[in-house]
Amino acid sequence: MEESPYGIQSKKLAIWLFIIADAATFGAILFAYGYLRVANPDWTRPFEFWPTIANGIAMTVALLTSSLTMIGAVQSAQAGWKSASVRWLGVTMALGLVFVLLLLREWSGMIAAGWRLSRNPLGGSVLFGATFFGITGLHLLHVIAGVVAIAVIASGFNRDRLDAGHVETTGLYWHFVNLVQLFVFPLVYLMNVR
Amino acid sequence: MAEARHSAGMKRYVVVWIGLILIVAIEVLLTYQHLPAGRLLAFLLVLAFIAAALGVMYFMHLRYERASLFWSLIPYLIFALFMMDHVWPDAFRLMHQRLPAP
Repeated sequence: MEESPYGIQSKKLAIWLFIIADAATFGAILFAYGYLRVANPDWTRPFEFWPTIANGIAMTVALLTSSLTMIGAVQSAQAGWKSASVRWLGVTMALGLVFVLLLLREWSGMIAAGWRLSRNPLGGSVLFGATFFGITGLHLLHVIAGVVAIAVIASGFNRDRLDAGHVETTGLYWHFVNLVQLFVFPLVYLMNVR
Repeated sequence: MAEARHSAGMKRYVVVWIGLILIVAIEVLLTYQHLPAGRLLAFLLVLAFIAAALGVMYFMHLRYERASLFWSLIPYLIFALFMMDHVWPDAFRLMHQRLPAP
């Protein structure tokens, strides 16, 4: 059989292609946000340090730390330490769930304050809610999908039905989802500080 | 032996993780310096791209893959993002087209 020009398994190449396509999707949605923001001089900048920015910092740190624990899982899997890898995967899922809970807390606070997809309680552009909930919602879906994927992979790896390559492939997706937060936090949170 | 290699390998990633946390801290500090919006955006974007590059090259191991993988993926993404930049003239047109409030 002819060797792959990239020297990697086909599933790893497939996840890289998905990641590049998904990065273009997030790029497009962030460009749309930038367009709407520039075109609306009455754009609202509602965020205070407490609770929104502090919450955003905690979410970002949780995701970055989960990347580190995912590396622990991949390295343990490659070394053949199954139980250690599954434990690291469990910690990674827990950190992902921390992110989910923090974002849902942020959303519930904003909804209680009157923010909706097409309503701005502060009287500025109504597009703020659409872009904020749209961008963070798309990212939230990716994180939830990642947590579910890690749970499935951890279960399969624990039962010897999946191998270290599957853990590594899931890790690539998880790192990508975390890198998206490195753009969402400054552009959607910090650029909207009052 | 294997455990020693494992912990030595993890040290490198912990250093990258600390670097990423520091970048986030710098972004927050810059935000509260009350810079003009354009300059703040430029600083935040540069820092975000540095952080993303660190994550892609180290956490996602692209640095350790064959160069052909890097050259097949990253230039395409940069090109796709570059092509999205054609929206800005229209955004600025709309911004300047606004009539002043009565």
